[in-house]
Parts: sequence; C-alpha cells; structure tokens
Amino acid sequence: METIDQAFVLGKRAALNWMSAFLPDWTMVFVSIIISATAIVIFGPVTMMYLTWFERKLVGRIQNRFGPNRVGPWGLLQPIADGIKMLTKEDIVPEHADKFAHFLAPVVIVIPALLIFSVVPFGRGMVAVDLSIGILFFLALSSTTTIWIFVASWGSRNKFSLLGGMRSVAQMISYEIPMVLSVVPVLLVVGSFSTVSIVEAQSGWNWFIFTPWGIAGFLVFFLTGVAEVNRTPFDLPEGESEIVAGFHTEYSGMKFALFYMAEFMNAFSISGIVATAYLGGWQGPWLPSWAWFFIKTYALVFVMMWFRGTFPRLRVDQLMGFAWKVLLPLTLANIFIAALWLNLESPKNNLISALVLVAIVTIIYWANRPEVPKKRIYRYAYED
Amino acid sequence: MFGLGVLKGMWVTFKNFVLSYFSKDHLVTVQYPEEKIPEKERFRNFPFLIYDDKPEDLRCVSCDICAKECPPKCITIVRDSDAQGKPLKRPKVFDIDFSICMNCGICEEVCPFDAIFMDHEFEIAEFGRFEDLNYHKEDLLKSNEYFAKIRPQDVARIDAKRREKTKKTEPPQTTPTT
Amino acid sequence: MDIFGLIGPASFYGFMAGILVLAVLTVTTRNLFHSAIFLAFTLIGVACIYFFLRAEFLGGVQILLYVGAIMTLVIFAIMLTAKMGDPSIPQSNRQRLPVFLALAALAFLLVPQIVKTSWKVVESLKTTSAVELGQALMSEFVLPFELISIVLLAALIGAIAIARSDQ
Repeated sequence: METIDQAFVLGKRAALNWMSAFLPDWTMVFVSIIISATAIVIFGPVTMMYLTWFERKLVGRIQNRFGPNRVGPWGLLQPIADGIKMLTKEDIVPEHADKFAHFLAPVVIVIPALLIFSVVPFGRGMVAVDLSIGILFFLALSSTTTIWIFVASWGSRNKFSLLGGMRSVAQMISYEIPMVLSVVPVLLVVGSFSTVSIVEAQSGWNWFIFTPWGIAGFLVFFLTGVAEVNRTPFDLPEGESEIVAGFHTEYSGMKFALFYMAEFMNAFSISGIVATAYLGGWQGPWLPSWAWFFIKTYALVFVMMWFRGTFPRLRVDQLMGFAWKVLLPLTLANIFIAALWLNLESPKNNLISALVLVAIVTIIYWANRPEVPKKRIYRYAYED
Repeated sequence: MFGLGVLKGMWVTFKNFVLSYFSKDHLVTVQYPEEKIPEKERFRNFPFLIYDDKPEDLRCVSCDICAKECPPKCITIVRDSDAQGKPLKRPKVFDIDFSICMNCGICEEVCPFDAIFMDHEFEIAEFGRFEDLNYHKEDLLKSNEYFAKIRPQDVARIDAKRREKTKKTEPPQTTPTT
Repeated sequence: MDIFGLIGPASFYGFMAGILVLAVLTVTTRNLFHSAIFLAFTLIGVACIYFFLRAEFLGGVQILLYVGAIMTLVIFAIMLTAKMGDPSIPQSNRQRLPVFLALAALAFLLVPQIVKTSWKVVESLKTTSAVELGQALMSEFVLPFELISIVLLAALIGAIAIARSDQ
C-alpha cells in the first residue's frame, strides 16, 4: 500500500540513486530538477491530448453519438492522429499581421500553463516545488494568460481576433477578482499559501467542501475557473457562431494546437487546484493518494465538459452581471462567513455560518431577481 | 424558480450521456460501413437496364426517349444495326455517365418499354473522374430477378402490366424483345 | 562544490543581463505594441529576481499586479493609440539636449552617493513570509492600510457613479 502510494516518489529516488553512481554530487540537484520538469512537460501535453479525446467522446455521448471511435480501439489513437495532422499542416501567417506578436503569443501562452503544474500536489509528496506561495503563484500565472491572448488577437490583424481578444480581456479581468477572493477563506483557515499545507489541513474527512463556506467557495472558485479558461458557457472569446474562432482565428497548424494545448492544460490544472483547495486534494481512504487526486480532478474536468454539452453561451451583459453582481458579493460575504466559522466553537459555528450563508444567498438572489416588466394594458380611445 | 433551469438542463444531458451506454434509442449513429440502414423500397439512385432471361434479351429498344428527356443529358444511345445496315431494335451502345446523372428518375418515368429503372446501389465511388464513372451497357445490365428483389411492389405491378400487353399482342406473335 | 557555488551567481547575473536587454528593447523598439510586450517580459524578469532572492510573495504579487493587471491596462491604452507602428514618427523631440544635461547633472549627484552608501547586506537570505506581512499590515501599519482601502473605496464608488446610467 505504502509503495503504491509513493510509487512515483520512489521511482524518482531510484533513478537518482542509479545516476548518483556515475554523476558527480553537485549535479544531483539539477538531475532532480530535470526529472521533475521532464515529468511535468510530458504529463501536460499528454493530458491535453487525452482531454481532447475525452471531451469529444463525452460530448458525443451527450448528443447520442459515439464520438471518435475509428482510430484505434475506442478512438484512443485519435489524439495522436490529430497531432500528426497539426504538425504537418501549413503554417499560415496573414500578410499584414504583426509577425513578431503573431509568432510569440502561442509560444509563450503554453509556459504559464505548464508552470502551474509545478505547484499542483499530485499526491503525497508528489509536488514539483512546494512553494510557500503556491496558490498565489497559480493565480499570478493564470492572470498572465490574458496578455498573450490579447497579443495573439492584436498580432493577427483581424477584426474577429481583436473582438475575441477584447472580450477575453474583459472577461478574464472580471473573473480574476471573484477567483482570488474565493480562495481567501481557504487561506484564512489554513494560514498558508502552500498547496501542500492546504491539502494537509484537510486530512481525514475534513474536506473544506463539507463546511458552509466551503460549498460557496467551491462553487465560486470552480465557476470562475471555468470562466478563466474560456470554456462553455463562458467561451465568449472564441464564440464560434459569432466571431469565427475569436483570438485564434488566424492561427493554423501547430500554433493553433499550442493555444488548444494551453486551454486544456489550464482546464486540467484549474480542476486540480480546485480539488486541492476544496475537495481535499489527494486525501481519501483506501486508494493511493495520487489516485484520489486524479479521481477528483477528472470528476471536475467531467463537470466542465458536461457544462460544455449542456449550456449555450452567455451574453456579454449576463457574463459581466454574473461576475460583478453575484459572484463578487458572494465571495466577499464568504470571507466573513469563513471568519465567523473560524472564531466560533465547533458545533455552533457550522450552524451559524450556514444560516448567514443562506441569508446572504437569499439577499443576492433577491437583488438579482429578473426584472419582469409590468403587463401593459391597452385601452382604446373610445373606452374613455 | 429562476436558476433551476440550469440544473434541469444538466439532468437532461446527464440522462442522455448515461443512457447512451444502455439503450439503442439514445445512440442513434449507424456505424456505416459495418452496419447499414436497410434501404426503403422507393429509394432510388442510379439507373440500370433490365433484361428478362438472359443478358441478350434486354427490354430496351433504343427508342432514345430517355436520352432526350434526361435533364443533364447523361445517357448516350447508339442503335445497333445488322449486317445490311438495317437498324435493329436494340442498342449497340448504351452509356450512362454517373458523374453527370442527378438521380432524378425521369428516364424511368418516360420509358414506354419498362427497360430502365432506378437502382439501390450507391457505393460506386471511383478514383477516376471521367471514364471510371461512365457506365457501359454491360455494367448497366441487371436481371429482372434482381429488380424483383429490390423493388418487389413495382415488379409485381410492371410484370402484370407486361403480361397483359403480351396477351393483347399475342395473335401477331412477334414480340419486340428479339 | 566550487562549480555549484558559481552556477548560482552566474545564472543570477545572466538573468539580470537578460532583463536589462529586455528593458533596453522596451525603450528602443519603434513599435509601441512590441515595447509593451518587452515591458511585460521585463516585469516578469523582475518577478523572477524576487524569486531568486527568496521573496516569493513579492514575486507572486509582482506578476499578479504588474503583469496580470497593469500590463493589460497598458495594452488597452496602446490599442487606443493612433499610428503606433509608424517608424516615421520621431521617438524624441527637440528638447533632447536640455533633458540630457539635466539628467547628466542628476546622475552626477546621485551616482557617487549610491556608490558611497554602505548597503546593509543580509548574509543569509530570509524568506519573507506572507503571514508576517499580513500581521504587520494589520498591526503596525494599520493606519496606512486603512487609508489605502478608503482611497480604493472612493475610487470604486466614483467608478460606479460615472458608469451608472442616468435614469
């Protein structure tokens, strides 16, 4: 059990031991870094490839279709076929495009997506770097994605690209705020930014989602996460039916694939971070720790794709209204609720904070009730 | 209640997702080359020529009506002639260019001799654009039994009509089929 | 061990050189949009310096605020600029000489002072903990902290007042 749990950690240690026999001591630090980095760099794109397969399969089943099932058993080789196709496609750069920006954006956008994996705790002791600012690091990196999306859209010199880029910037800035605020309760309770200590604080069945503030925080964090990675129903930046493909309209071949890769890796890492912050990360009984992490993360990824199969795209005003009128007050109130929960004694605190949460949700719901215009009564002139 | 529609929609898609693994009604895709939807009798595709007993006895008398009526003009007919140059009531060349044919079925409608009918065969993809799709008389010929298999109702009606006709023209004893 | 001792400083100074190159590119590039991109890279580089010096919290905040938020604003401002990529527009104007003289005088005053000052060098790098920062903000520096929040609140209310449609 212990060996299965620590399989990857032990594997890395064995590799280090084997290499230390013929490499000088001072290189071991670098070898260790390189092993972790290689693992992440391989894991990221492979995850992305199979997430595309998973999404197509799932959305297909939702629409009563099979999804890809021709290349390999159950279409399992489809991502590889797609990859080969992407690599061999012609790379088209529009004549009047800003060549430098057009080239730079897809290359750089993958970097934050990959870097985020370095603070995701995949299992007990399975985190590349236990940064003391883990969650903040994740938030900071995911906020930089905005710029590269905008650079891509500006560099393409295409009106649809620019529209998509501007929508993306407006959306990501708006959703950044509730996203940052929705993690604050966790930091408040744990007292640390580090992803590892956040998971350790949820040992046993003390997952944060089982507390009143945890439910609200989880929902807001997850929804803002979905919005951050531009997935349905928040996929206005790439709304196919309105603006062709949004910011990546002018991209083809591998450059397009890089955007896709960044999007899917972000979707995965956001699911992982949400699972870490609220669903107890790798905590769980019976199964090895990394299995629990992947079960939770893939459950969240499943929900993301389920959203994609269900919801139509939001309108821009609905999108902004949802962020500023619903999520922001809810997160601000949630910080207060978490503080209440933290400072009251154990049996009482759940009840009181739940009551406050219900009251606040009711108020927000009431304040956001849809405005039904008064029914008009038509009267003919002769009736007077 | 406002907001409940979101959950309702998710329930619908989830139901469809799960049922697609259990019920055929929730997985409507037909995996084409392996499984096929049985063709309906009235399904029509490219035309073929019909013969009665042996391939020489084709019903076509090369009257050229179908070639004249054909809207895209995909039918080419050359009348056969005997050694003296006397024209015979059978075609020497009967070509239908399937790359031009638009499957309208007018040839079938206008044929007074019930010699040309629309087929059910649709998997005729070829690599060449020109000669590969230009079907000649030999490729077009199909027996009446085959026709009875794909369109039993029509065959019953047409065969009855033809029997009636041959009965009426029995006394002169010269059937047009030779 | 010698090599390991060397690699740290070497990569640090190499990094610094890279940031300087990016900064120079920021001010010399003719295309405003490109210089904004280089500025973003420079700011990320500065954040990396913080990471080098174990001030991880500052580094994270630097990326979050400068790269994530302020650069977006800058790019939006550039987007509204006309003729941003035209190389015929002069980069400097006619007051080049007076400005140069004034700057030279300033440098003449400042540089010797900077060189003379004995900087307090901490031998062992201490990690700046976010917890300590937060406690300092809530106890010792609570007045400036609250003042800043009042300013922000005023700005927020002002923004709402401006954005609100007249009814």
